Amino acid sequence: MSALVPLLVTLPLLGAAIALIAGRHRKTQVAVSIVTLTLVLAIAAVLLVVVDAGNAPIAVSVGDWPIPFGIVLYVDRLAALLVVVSSIVLLAVLLFSVGQGAADGDDDTPVSIFHPSYLILAAGIFTAFIAGDLFNLYVGFEILLVASYVLITLGSTESRIRTGVVYIVVSLVSSILFLASIAVIYGALGTVNMVQISERMTQLPQQTQTVLHVMLLLAFSIKAAVFPLSFWLPDSYPTAPAPVTAVFAGLLTKVGVYAMIRTETELFRVNDVNFVLMIVALATMIVGVLGAVAQAELKRILSFTLVSHVGYMVFGLAIATPAAIGATIYYMVHHIVVQTTLFLAVGLVERRAGSTSILRVKGLMRAAPVIAVLYFIPAINLGGLPPFSGFIGKYALFNAGAEVGTPIMIVLIVGGIITSLLTLYALMRAWNLSFWREEDDSAETEERISYLGSAPAAAIETERRVIPRIMTAATAGMVAVTVSLTLFAGPLYEVCARIGASLLEPVSISQLEDEAGR
Amino acid sequence: MLILLGAFTLLPLLLPWVVGRLGARAFYLAALLPVAAFTYTAIQTPAVLSGDIPFEAFDWIPPLGIQLSARLDTVSWVMALIVTGVGALVMLYCRWYFRGKTEGVGQFSAVLLAFAGAMYGLVITNDLVVLVMFWEITSVLSYLLIGFYNRRGASRRAALQALLVTSLGGLVMLIGVVLLVVDTGTSSISQILDAAPTGPVVDAALVLILVGALSKSAIFPFHFWLPGAMAAPTPVSAYLHAAAMVKAGIYLIALLAPVFAGSPGWRPIVVGLGVFTMLLGGLQALRESDLKRILAFGTVSQLGFLTVVLGYGTQDAALTGLALLISHALFKSALFLVVGVIDRQLSTRDIGELSGVGRQAPVMATFSAIGLASMIGVFPTIGFVAKEGILTAFLHEAAGGAIWGIVALVGIVLGSILTAAYGIRFWWGAFSTKHGADGAAVERTEWPDPPLGFLGTPVLLSGLTVVAGLGAPLLDVVLAPYAAPAPASTAGVAAPEPAHLALWHGLEPALWISLATIAIGAALFALVVATGWHRRVLPFTAADIYNAVLRGIARLSVLTTGFTQRGSLPVYVGTIFVVFVAAEGTALLAGSDWKAQLDAYQTPMQLVVAPIMIAAGLVAVRAQKRYTGVVLVSVTGLGMVVLFATSGAPDLALTQILVETVTLVAFALVLRRIPSRMGEHNASVWPVARAVLAAAVGATMAAVALIATAARSVKPISESFPELAYELGHGKNVVNVALVDLRGWDTMGELSVLILAATGVASLVFVTHRADTLSSSTAPLPPAAARTRQPLVETDEGVRPRGETGGTERMAWLVGGQRVRPENRSILLEVVVRVLFHSIIIVSLYLLFAGHNLPGGGFAGGLVAGMALVMRYVAGGRYELGAAAPTDAGRLLGAGMSIAVACAIVPLFFGAPPLTSTYFEFDVPLLGHLEFVTSTLFDVGVYLVVIGLVLDVLRSLGAEVDRQTQELRDATPGTASIRQSGVSV
Amino acid sequence: MDVSLVLIVVMAVLFACGVYAMLERSLTRVLIGFLLLGNATNLLLLIVMGQPGVAPFFGAAASSEEMSDPLPQALTLTAIVITFGISAFLLALIYRSWQLGQADTVEDDAEDLALRARGVAAEDAMDDETELVSDDTVTDFVGLATAPITVLGSRDFAGIRDDAPTDRPAGRREEPPRRIRPPEGEDDA
Repeated sequence: MSALVPLLVTLPLLGAAIALIAGRHRKTQVAVSIVTLTLVLAIAAVLLVVVDAGNAPIAVSVGDWPIPFGIVLYVDRLAALLVVVSSIVLLAVLLFSVGQGAADGDDDTPVSIFHPSYLILAAGIFTAFIAGDLFNLYVGFEILLVASYVLITLGSTESRIRTGVVYIVVSLVSSILFLASIAVIYGALGTVNMVQISERMTQLPQQTQTVLHVMLLLAFSIKAAVFPLSFWLPDSYPTAPAPVTAVFAGLLTKVGVYAMIRTETELFRVNDVNFVLMIVALATMIVGVLGAVAQAELKRILSFTLVSHVGYMVFGLAIATPAAIGATIYYMVHHIVVQTTLFLAVGLVERRAGSTSILRVKGLMRAAPVIAVLYFIPAINLGGLPPFSGFIGKYALFNAGAEVGTPIMIVLIVGGIITSLLTLYALMRAWNLSFWREEDDSAETEERISYLGSAPAAAIETERRVIPRIMTAATAGMVAVTVSLTLFAGPLYEVCARIGASLLEPVSISQLEDEAGR
Repeated sequence: MLILLGAFTLLPLLLPWVVGRLGARAFYLAALLPVAAFTYTAIQTPAVLSGDIPFEAFDWIPPLGIQLSARLDTVSWVMALIVTGVGALVMLYCRWYFRGKTEGVGQFSAVLLAFAGAMYGLVITNDLVVLVMFWEITSVLSYLLIGFYNRRGASRRAALQALLVTSLGGLVMLIGVVLLVVDTGTSSISQILDAAPTGPVVDAALVLILVGALSKSAIFPFHFWLPGAMAAPTPVSAYLHAAAMVKAGIYLIALLAPVFAGSPGWRPIVVGLGVFTMLLGGLQALRESDLKRILAFGTVSQLGFLTVVLGYGTQDAALTGLALLISHALFKSALFLVVGVIDRQLSTRDIGELSGVGRQAPVMATFSAIGLASMIGVFPTIGFVAKEGILTAFLHEAAGGAIWGIVALVGIVLGSILTAAYGIRFWWGAFSTKHGADGAAVERTEWPDPPLGFLGTPVLLSGLTVVAGLGAPLLDVVLAPYAAPAPASTAGVAAPEPAHLALWHGLEPALWISLATIAIGAALFALVVATGWHRRVLPFTAADIYNAVLRGIARLSVLTTGFTQRGSLPVYVGTIFVVFVAAEGTALLAGSDWKAQLDAYQTPMQLVVAPIMIAAGLVAVRAQKRYTGVVLVSVTGLGMVVLFATSGAPDLALTQILVETVTLVAFALVLRRIPSRMGEHNASVWPVARAVLAAAVGATMAAVALIATAARSVKPISESFPELAYELGHGKNVVNVALVDLRGWDTMGELSVLILAATGVASLVFVTHRADTLSSSTAPLPPAAARTRQPLVETDEGVRPRGETGGTERMAWLVGGQRVRPENRSILLEVVVRVLFHSIIIVSLYLLFAGHNLPGGGFAGGLVAGMALVMRYVAGGRYELGAAAPTDAGRLLGAGMSIAVACAIVPLFFGAPPLTSTYFEFDVPLLGHLEFVTSTLFDVGVYLVVIGLVLDVLRSLGAEVDRQTQELRDATPGTASIRQSGVSV
Repeated sequence: MDVSLVLIVVMAVLFACGVYAMLERSLTRVLIGFLLLGNATNLLLLIVMGQPGVAPFFGAAASSEEMSDPLPQALTLTAIVITFGISAFLLALIYRSWQLGQADTVEDDAEDLALRARGVAAEDAMDDETELVSDDTVTDFVGLATAPITVLGSRDFAGIRDDAPTDRPAGRREEPPRRIRPPEGEDDA
């Protein structure tokens, strides 16, 4: 089994290498990418089954060095689950972008750049998920970040450069903070192995622990887009190419959340920042969703909801009971899938209607019923309406909060209610305007358009293009996945619950050695 | 029952297709499912009566204790019959209503059927959480149903607000449910009811749940969505807004009342709001002129009535209330359907435009009258039975002095008067022959006779009210089990002898009151018609509040977003640092134990370098010219080199100095194209504030570093690295072994970062394609010529080696030399480069292979080789670079990466972990004893990737930039601008 | 672990300078800031090496006590190279943004500015999709030509010629309800 773990990273890298060498043969690149990600998905699935059934995390000591001197790859339920989910997402988005590329004649996706970068992005994400070594986690972050720099500036048009710069600079700052915190952690503990860190951390004076803890959390909060470190996100995501935005929105912020989860549950067991986290979570939810309500452009609406729903996860993390962690994981999985799906659907809308301004686009329900369905289902899912996973995750979170039952919990639950209602409001208003409203029902349209003159992105009119079947198929596939999150909520949630339970149990070096089979 | 639910989820998926084939007839098919459900429920009757309650369950999400369960106790059974029965009938009715309509019907039928399923699930489930789920599902589906005529703005808005109001209620209810579930530890409704928990939490939970119920059942202040929802097609109104959805709230109240009615806050809310709603709705119904809206407000009023009675929570109230529920479901849907027929036939529902329809449509008129009779409570309908029972019950409560009993009684009496009034008015408006002011009859409306099938449903439904009325004693037996658990009377009131549903109780007070209300109602009606009374009941409508709230949210959102989302990068970055200082500052000041282990300095060199670096840093950020800044930065870099060198880190020193050089070159390449002064546009702002923030960050960092290093109590794991490196890694250079072996996994990731950087540079400069212009520029070069180093000349066919012609030109030392404009050529430089190039490559290879035991390694080697390429480029220009480049940069990167990855993967086949290195040593004649570690191969990969990166930087920022500027220079301004735009689009 | 005050000071100053420069709009300054921060962080890594010793070569010193800590060195090396790659990318970014806008400065986000500039009128335009207006239509069939069904009998045989026209907009926008009488002679009845 342990031989499979490194493949999660090495296969995408190998694929990227081949894609680079075969720079001029587009078909080869496409084939390589698809095959690679499919393999990874299969491997990840196997790992998840094995780890979950055997209730034994897999640790691999790279280079066969005695633990903890070398780098340890650590695959527990959480890592395995997230790798499975993210490889599904990556695969779907890849197909989508292949379709788009085919249709656009690659005018805005320079194919020989896209595929290698995309595969390395995948490798980076997986590196981060399976890292058992803090510095290796940093390297994983760097990989996926630099990959995202390349992808977000694809085609390097003026707007993409501008927004790309915002994204890049902010990410650079977070990386610096991350590296600095690694340095000071090493200074205090003399190790970068995460298990050893958590062992040695408890011997530090409380003050020092808090100092290190806060620094690390800040670095991750920027990536996870937690208020007030979230402002960069809505400015940078919407202008990227649709598939890129989709995968960023779905995965990158979640890697940040994942790192926060590891920090809270594994590195710093004695924890005195939970209350602050709750306040932050509340602010994130409310400010984010208010931003969504204020927007008149689908991609921006979605970006803001993305921020606000990160608040849910921080909330769950701050409750810090096994039940809450489990709920957080489930919500995370739900949000990865749904957010990506929505962005893909909006990508279809953009192609079909030539704009994503909810005030301009009209009559999509009759013009493109399929797209309508593909938007509606994930939309109400994100709005937290049953029977979809959004509701289940929300209920689980509230339940975990209510079990603790402190006043702040109630406040946060109310905040969560408001958030989900306003999310629903923003998304359904968009539905009213863009899908139901017809051309001939345009009493106030003129007024609207005149006002739109001041909102550039909303005013952008890309040409309307035909939609290749594969793009629709990819999106439909993702919608199917969102639905399956409901159908198989039972088993899935059981895994999440087990994760929640196991994450809070300390792991020791000796355990790690056993799991590495040394 | 669960299977039925499954069918309800699946069949709708097929319906649109069927409708596409069969048109409106598909509704026959759709009706089958509700019929099946109805029959099944009917079959269960004996079980329900005998008390062994049918129960099915499926564990859906065990960790959350969420269970898909179905439980047919009396009230569920009643509701299930109503929901499925009325549902089936409405489907049949739709077959006619949508006759010849195509647009959206397929979707409509699917949603309607799904809705029936959701309602069915809602009333039979035994899990509180699942109930909330179905609850919200009905909200969504009703959104789609109300928005059926979505071309009309009014429909869309009505749909959206119905969705928002009901799901707001649902969410509030969810909080209540969560509290209740957490408090009782189970989500099973029956168990919760048996446990009958009490306490502040439970009371709060109940209030929250009530909010949900009231919003769903359109009780004031949530009532306004219902009239708005009349934008829905009439069958929808008949089903959702009479029989099914609005009953959900009532159902929930009815479910909880017998057990929880005693809790504080319950009766005040239920009775108070219920009575108010009943009166408000009644008055509104009196002033409407649209038949459908009359019914809508009538429904609001009746729902208030039901809330009062079923929420009151005594045995008699419960029993009679359930009868009232049945009655309302029957007559109200019947009446709605009648309105539907009128509208379908005449395309209007305005009582002002209808006259003399009754004469032409006697059957419809009669059965409408029957329905209305049941609403008003006229013998012998079920309505009469219920109303009389209710009056009796509340008379007793009132007599007993229960304050809310009195309120309820008064409210009900007044409400019944209004009910009678608008009931009569409805019939008058729909069917009677109107008379103008002059008393002359208004010309009668032409009435096209509808098919019996169309009329059948309303006729059947209103007929049932009489049947039920006659069958009252039977009903009494059936419904009794529901009322049983409720207390006989409220606290402090003597228990009455239990009431029974019967058609005739004799001449008792209730009967007289009932008759009186009808009489007064009739009079009121006459008065209204005579005076044409038409005034608003309340100074404001709840819709105004709804609008105000939405506008408030919109305003708030714009303000908040405008405040937080400044859109300015410096602000965002600044925020991050402010947060950093604030958070870390608090963390630092919070603690007390300040200790640091400090030397003033560790090596004298530090004292020398420190001031230089500080000065360089400070000046660098104030520099106005780009070059100045860059150079000063690299001064700090060189300071780092010295520090590394003097702190026992030769590898770092070596790498750093090489990196500094290459970076400087890259800078030069870019900066030559852009003006030297920085920040002409929006020059730097708030220097002071930024300086303060910056200083704060620096100080915080220092403090953190001190605290952290002072806390070190254990030996670092790296203590044993030297031994490990030598024993296992077979290398003396610990750092190098750490890079290529011990932490090779990091290095692999780092390689991918380099590859990405290279790719990114290319993608930014070669805007759309990654085609390699270098190889193309040298492509026409015949290899022979390349070998003989014939200098190149530019001919019309492109670049060619110089032939015999033009032998006067001086011999070039570099292939690309000729391409550089003579004034830019330095023969001396060319010679030097020519001589040095290969030796430098040798050096780089040495560094690469020696690295395992001496300073050096892949990075250093690669960078040195890169430097060689830089020299070729600087000296000979882009064609020279093309000649010097071993191959396409992409291939180099790919190859390097493949080698590195191979080193990681190959060991797996031998069952070893990735990157496990193997050690060979062998004696070779002449060369003597050779040692080889596979991790060296890994270093080769590093070497190649680094060269690839440098090459990519050169050919992008160097060669391609040259080309583009060349084009700009050559091209006329016009074409130049075109190219610019062509590039940037 | 003993650390050098001098290095701490230098590190702090470099951090301060880097932050100061990163708060600029000019990309070149941002890059300068980034490089400074990079050096500062490397310096921090150097600091946490503790007491400097001889270069970490096996056998160079009797015990590893006397060697300087190799692990931070490895980390630093990785960090240096990563910083190198990123700064190359940033340089290309600077060139590109200059090529596009003849400036390497970061402008504010237009959407956000537009939002802040958005007046109440514009908000009304957004709201009026959700505003409730009194809906005084008195038929389901607004703007749809709809003829009554006039087939006698409840039978529903396939053969009926259905003269109820399918939905077609009778007018462009919502109109006051009209009663549409079936045209003569088109009924089966």
